[in-house]
Amino acid sequence: MTGTPHTLHDRGNRKMARLQLNNLHAEVAEEGGEQILRGVDLEVESGEIHALMGPNGSGKSTTAKIIAGHPAYEVTEGEVLLHLEEGDFGEDFDIPEDKRTWDILDLEPNERAALGIFLAFQYPAEIEGVTMTNFLRTALNAKLEERDELFEDEEGEDDAAEEEDEGFETSPMEGPADDGEVGVAEFQEILQEKMEQLDMDAKFAQRYLNAGFSGGEKKQNEVLQAAILEPSIAVLDEIDSGLDIDRLQDVANGINALRDVQGTGVLQITHYQRILDYVEPDHVHVMLDGEIAKSGGPELAEQLEDKGYDWVREEVYETA
Amino acid sequence: MSTQVHANLTEEQVREISGNLDEPDWLLETRLEALEALETIDMPDVIRTPGRDWTNLHELDFETLVDPLNWAEEKDQVGPDDVEVLPWGEAVAEHEELLKEHFGSIVDPQENYLTALSTALFSTGTVIYVPEGVDAEDVTIRTEMNSRSLFNYTLVVTEESSSVTILERQSTGSDAVDGEKYYSAIVEVIAGENSSVQYGSLQNLSEDSYSFSCKRGDADTYATIDWIEGNIGTQLTKSEVSTELNGDGSETQIVGAFFGHDEQHFDLDVKVWHRAEHTTADLVTRGVTDDTARSVYEGVQDVGRDAWDTSSYQRENTLMLSDESEADASPKLIINNHDTEASHSATVGQIDQEDLLYMTSRGVSPRLARNMLVEGFFVPVMEEIAVDEFREDLEELIQQRLRG
Repeated sequence: MTGTPHTLHDRGNRKMARLQLNNLHAEVAEEGGEQILRGVDLEVESGEIHALMGPNGSGKSTTAKIIAGHPAYEVTEGEVLLHLEEGDFGEDFDIPEDKRTWDILDLEPNERAALGIFLAFQYPAEIEGVTMTNFLRTALNAKLEERDELFEDEEGEDDAAEEEDEGFETSPMEGPADDGEVGVAEFQEILQEKMEQLDMDAKFAQRYLNAGFSGGEKKQNEVLQAAILEPSIAVLDEIDSGLDIDRLQDVANGINALRDVQGTGVLQITHYQRILDYVEPDHVHVMLDGEIAKSGGPELAEQLEDKGYDWVREEVYETA
Repeated sequence: MSTQVHANLTEEQVREISGNLDEPDWLLETRLEALEALETIDMPDVIRTPGRDWTNLHELDFETLVDPLNWAEEKDQVGPDDVEVLPWGEAVAEHEELLKEHFGSIVDPQENYLTALSTALFSTGTVIYVPEGVDAEDVTIRTEMNSRSLFNYTLVVTEESSSVTILERQSTGSDAVDGEKYYSAIVEVIAGENSSVQYGSLQNLSEDSYSFSCKRGDADTYATIDWIEGNIGTQLTKSEVSTELNGDGSETQIVGAFFGHDEQHFDLDVKVWHRAEHTTADLVTRGVTDDTARSVYEGVQDVGRDAWDTSSYQRENTLMLSDESEADASPKLIINNHDTEASHSATVGQIDQEDLLYMTSRGVSPRLARNMLVEGFFVPVMEEIAVDEFREDLEELIQQRLRG
C-alpha cells in the first residue's frame, strides 16, 4: 500500500464552496402529490453554520432530502446550485472554470456526495452485515473515484474512459483495486483518529452499520461519517434529537470540528435551542409553510425559544 | 398418477451399469426393481399455491436428457489416511456388508420417480467410512460433469464417537457435451452414536443443467448432522436436505444459501423429523433472486409424539433484486408433542430504498451499494458456516454473480 498523501488531498484543506437554493418548489413524487416547498431561497457557504428551524411539517426535512436527492420528492420549480472554487478539493485537484457551478438536481445522490454534499439522516438506516469500517472505506474511495470521473469524463482523456469501465469492478471484499484508493491500514488510522475525537468506542468500527445502535449512537455515527468524508456542505437533519447531554456535547464538538478544521458549511435542522448553545450558528432561518419566513442572527433562535413560531407567522402576514 | 416411462431405458442398460461395477445380485435386484417402479410412481411433491405448481418436473424431457451408459466426469475423492474414502466400485468390492446394511435405508429408492431413476442408473459414487473414535477433517469430493446425464450416489457412515467434515462440489467441465444436461444425486448419511458429520455441498453446475438431489441423514443417540447447502448453478434445481433425529439428544443444523439469476429456478426442501427425546434442529436459509429467477422453499419441522423436550428453529429469508423475479417460502411446523420449543419464520422482500439512498448519499454508487447490501444479507448464513474453505468459496461465487 503506497498511501501517498495525494489520495487524501482534501484532508485539512479549507473548503470554499457555496450551496444556493433558488426559489425551490417541490411536491411529493406521486399522482396529485402534496406541495411541500413553495419557493425556498437559502445560501450556505463553507465555514458557516446555519440553523434551520420551524414547526413540524414546515418543509425542513424535505429541503434536506431534496438536497441529498431523495426520490420521494419532485422538484417542480427552482434550482439547487453548488458553486465550487479552485482549490476546493485540495491544491493539486484542478477544477476547470466551466465546472465550478453545478445544478445538483441533475445529479445522482452519489454524484452529489462526490462534489461534497453530505446529509446526516434524521433516521439513519440500519444495514445488517456491512461493517462500519468496510462501508466507510468503500464510501470514501467511491467518493474520490466518482469525483475524478465527474471532472474527467468530458476531457476525452483515454485513461479516463478506461477507469470508468473498471468502476464497478471493485468489490468491497477485495483489497485496494488501484493506486488511488485509501488502503485498509491507512483507513484504520483515519477512522481511529476520528472516533477518538468524537469519544466513540473503538468497538463500533467492527459493528454492522447502525444495526442495533441506540438513537444517540446513530447520531454520533452520522457525525463520524461526515468527519471522514469531509464534505463541503453538510446538512444535519435533527442531529440533536434523542441525545443525552453528554452525547449532545460530543456531537456538538464534532460539528464544530467539521467547520473549524475542514471549513465545512453546516445547515443544521433543529427544533431546539439546546444544541445551538454548543454549536453557535452564524445565521438562523425560520421556515413556515414551505418558505423561509425570516432570517437573522443567533438572537433569532433565542427569541423562538422564548416566544414560539406564532409571532413570526404574524409578522410575515403583517408584511404581506 | 403415473409418470412418463422411458421408451429408451432398458433392463439391459441397468444390468450393464451394475455389471461394470461388479455389483452383487441384491444390488442389481434393487436397481431393477427401481427401474420397474418408474412405471407406477410419481414425481416428488412440489410446492403448490392456488392455481400454480411452482416446479413442473413433468415438463422435463427425460427421454433426451437421460443417457445412462455414456456418462463422463472428472472426480476427486480424497481424505485423510484414517478415513476410507472409496469410489463406488471399490466400496462394492471391499465393504459389501456395509453397503447391504445401509444402502437405501434412509432414502427409499422407490420414494419417487427421481429417486428410483437415480437408483436404477447411478454409475458413480463415493463411500465414506469413518471408524470408531476417528476425527477427520478435509474429506473432499469434487465432481466435474462432462456428459448428458450423470447419476451419483454417496454414502457416509460414521461409527461411534467419530467425526468427519466433508466438502462436496459439483460443476460442469469445460469440455462437457453441449446443450441441456441432467445431474442426479442421492446422499445418505448414517451418523452413529455420539458421532458428528458436517456435510457441505456447493452446486455450481452450468446453467443449461437440471439437477435433482436428495440428501438425508439418520442421527443416532447424541449424534450431530450439519448440512450446508449452496446452490448457484443450473437452470432448475430440485433439492431436498433433511435429517431424521432418531436418537435421543441428537442434533442437526441445516444451513442453505442460493443466488439465482436469469431464468434459474430453485425448488428447495429442508426437513427435519424429531423422533426422539431432547433433540435440537436449527434450519437457516437465505437466498437471492435476480432477473426472472424463481425460488420456492419449503421447510418442515416435524415433531413426533415421542419427541419430548424438542428444540426446533427455522428461518428463511429471500431477497428479490428485480421486479420480475419471484419467490415463495413456506415454513411448516408440525407438533405432536407439546414439550417443544419451536419457532419458524420466512420473509420475502426487496432492497429497501431508504437503505439504498442512505448508502448512495455517502458516495457509494447504486450498483456497489446493492452489492454490499446483498453480501450483507448473506452474512447471517455465512456466520453459521464453520468451514472456512466452504464459506470462502461461496463468498467468491456470490461476488462473481454480483459482478455479473
